[in-house]
Amino acid sequence: MKKTVLLVLVSLCFIVSFSAAAEEVTIDFWHAMGGHNLEVVNTLVEEFNSSHDQVEVKAQYTGSYNDTLTKTQSAVQTGTAPHIIQIYEIGTQMMLDSGIIMPIEDLGKEVAGDNSFDWDKFLVPVSNYYTIDGKLNSMPFNSSTPILYYDRDAFEEAGLDPNRPPQTFAELKEYARKLTIKNDDGTVERYGFTLGIVGWFVEQMVANQDATLVNNDNGRSARATASNLNEEAAVRFVKLWKEMVDEGIMLNPGRGWDGANQAFSSGRAAMLIESTSSVAGFTENAEAAGFELGTGFLPRPAAANRGGVIIGGASLWTIADHPEEELKATWEFLKWLSEEEQQVYWFENTGYFPVTKAAVEREMNNKFFAENPNYLTAFLQLLLSKKAVSTQGALIGTFPEVRQIVEESVEKTLEGNMTPQAAMDEAAERVNKSLKEYNQLNE
Amino acid sequence: MQKLNYRSHSLVPYLLLSPTFIVLLLFLYWPSINSVFLSLFKQAPFGRKRIFVGIQNYINLFQDPTYLNSLLRSTFFIIFTITIGLIFSLLLAVILNQNLKGIKFYRVIFFIPYAISPTVAGSLWVFLLNPVAGQVNYLLDLAFNIQVNWLTNSFFAFLAIIIATVWKNMGFNIIFFLAGLQAIPDSVYESAEIDGAGAVTIFKDITIPLLSPTTFYLIIMNIIFSVFESFGIVDIMTQGGPADSTNIVIYKLYREMFINFRPGIAAAQSVILLALVIIVTIFHFKYGANNVHYQ
Repeated sequence: MKKTVLLVLVSLCFIVSFSAAAEEVTIDFWHAMGGHNLEVVNTLVEEFNSSHDQVEVKAQYTGSYNDTLTKTQSAVQTGTAPHIIQIYEIGTQMMLDSGIIMPIEDLGKEVAGDNSFDWDKFLVPVSNYYTIDGKLNSMPFNSSTPILYYDRDAFEEAGLDPNRPPQTFAELKEYARKLTIKNDDGTVERYGFTLGIVGWFVEQMVANQDATLVNNDNGRSARATASNLNEEAAVRFVKLWKEMVDEGIMLNPGRGWDGANQAFSSGRAAMLIESTSSVAGFTENAEAAGFELGTGFLPRPAAANRGGVIIGGASLWTIADHPEEELKATWEFLKWLSEEEQQVYWFENTGYFPVTKAAVEREMNNKFFAENPNYLTAFLQLLLSKKAVSTQGALIGTFPEVRQIVEESVEKTLEGNMTPQAAMDEAAERVNKSLKEYNQLNE
Repeated sequence: MQKLNYRSHSLVPYLLLSPTFIVLLLFLYWPSINSVFLSLFKQAPFGRKRIFVGIQNYINLFQDPTYLNSLLRSTFFIIFTITIGLIFSLLLAVILNQNLKGIKFYRVIFFIPYAISPTVAGSLWVFLLNPVAGQVNYLLDLAFNIQVNWLTNSFFAFLAIIIATVWKNMGFNIIFFLAGLQAIPDSVYESAEIDGAGAVTIFKDITIPLLSPTTFYLIIMNIIFSVFESFGIVDIMTQGGPADSTNIVIYKLYREMFINFRPGIAAAQSVILLALVIIVTIFHFKYGANNVHYQ
């Protein structure tokens, strides 16, 4: 008797849990937002879940951008891929070639049959990056660009106008020279400028001179087959880099972001180029350290054409191999994220751009930009960027590798083993080889 | 009483061993065989397309100067970490083998680095070696008035990962040396003292030869450590830079697989690495074993 009761109870439990599962669609969302931004993502997801009874989004932090890409690869091969993944901008071509994604525009228009969605709501420089073959492929999410940060107090101290940050390469050098303080024993008390060795900066500096990183219109009219790294735009910047480090007016903090950030925050360097997504952190630091933070556009060589910056950061991709019902729910969530309310929340809490026009307009109207001029710098620089393939960003299947190659070449130059031209020649050759192999596998 | 029939139980030992065999097969042998197989292909990211290339991956590797450099660099890295590591560990083990008050506490302290994860160890060294805020440069500045660019200069970066790796593995070596030292009977030392041997002679002619089985074992373990496990420290401290100066083979392999997404060439590298370690170990057993003295 007891056994029968137990059996009935157990089977009841099963039935109940099954029917509960049928009511809700679960969407897996893998992202690479750690630290403070992890909380912001979680808050957004909770907000969505509590306002949508039918859909449950499960957000999971899967490590760095690179880790997330790696995990996605193995998940795809074992058939356990999530619905949404956050992939950095340089993974775009690889995702397009992966054969596992569903372009966001197809998802919205065809799968979800959503005719009310305004596809023109995104900022043009943002949607330009992710639009390939006339179609938006992934949902713009966290976007950023590099800007120049500087210590306004140090500028005044050195007799420079804090309202006029350096605009050309020559000025950057001259300012850095004036801002550098050397001790009597030859050690440097404060460097004029610092920059972490990150390939992204070279890409941006090339775009800022209206030049392309690879051939075939930055890989957008056809697959890229040759690198332009050994051409004037990139070489000129690497040359400036080396000259400034050699002169002792620029600190080489090594690879990555942390060293440069630390040097700037602790007052060891008076100027720095960094992502706009750090504007909140730098503002806080400057307040704590007691100096006023200034921001400016990226400098460019006086002789170069005016280009602009490329949108960086990441976007959200949908994996196609899921039941239609789940894909519809995926669209529901992605659409919700692009709404004005969520965009403003995201922007104000992370420093990444809001990616829609409505959100920018709202921040303009409620005087957010007027009160936080350093946030405006980033926008103006982006919106004043020339609309061209140079600022649209390169599409390269092996972009993560290309970035590493560039970083190695910069290091070789700074160490004095190679001239900037020789190092960039070598880099271009390595990139060409990598492109050739990739194209062979992805014809 | 029933007599045990061993013949009828002949399956039992295999059954008892089977969990181990299954684990080894699934997690060791199968992946190894798979690596060899994978190394004969070129594969697109996400495995969408696969081209059979035979031994082309191996040919490419041996024609690639960056790979050959990396092999050479790793050889130096291994030789230095093992020599420096074992000498320091032995000296520390001798000190820690004395009957001092609170000796157990000191032993634990020296073992701690081995217990922490490579990521934590790497981060600690990054803090210590930070050119601006690091303690190492602060002390160097006080003592000699010099500033060293530890992680942005090829030579010092290489030195830094050697120091960090030695420090990290020292605990393991010390434990084994301590055990070895304690296994040497006091009577040997006593008779040497009666014969009038000095401390140096005793150390050179008694301690070192009698420790040789331990040293022999530790050399092999350290080769394996520094080839396969130094990855974490390099990843955190230098990412193979500056200018490739710390790009040792295991890190290069990781980058090929997880950043460049080229499983074929990464698999070829792992097969080469495995082969090299096997060869070195065989050589070590063949020639190194002659110098081992068992009591």
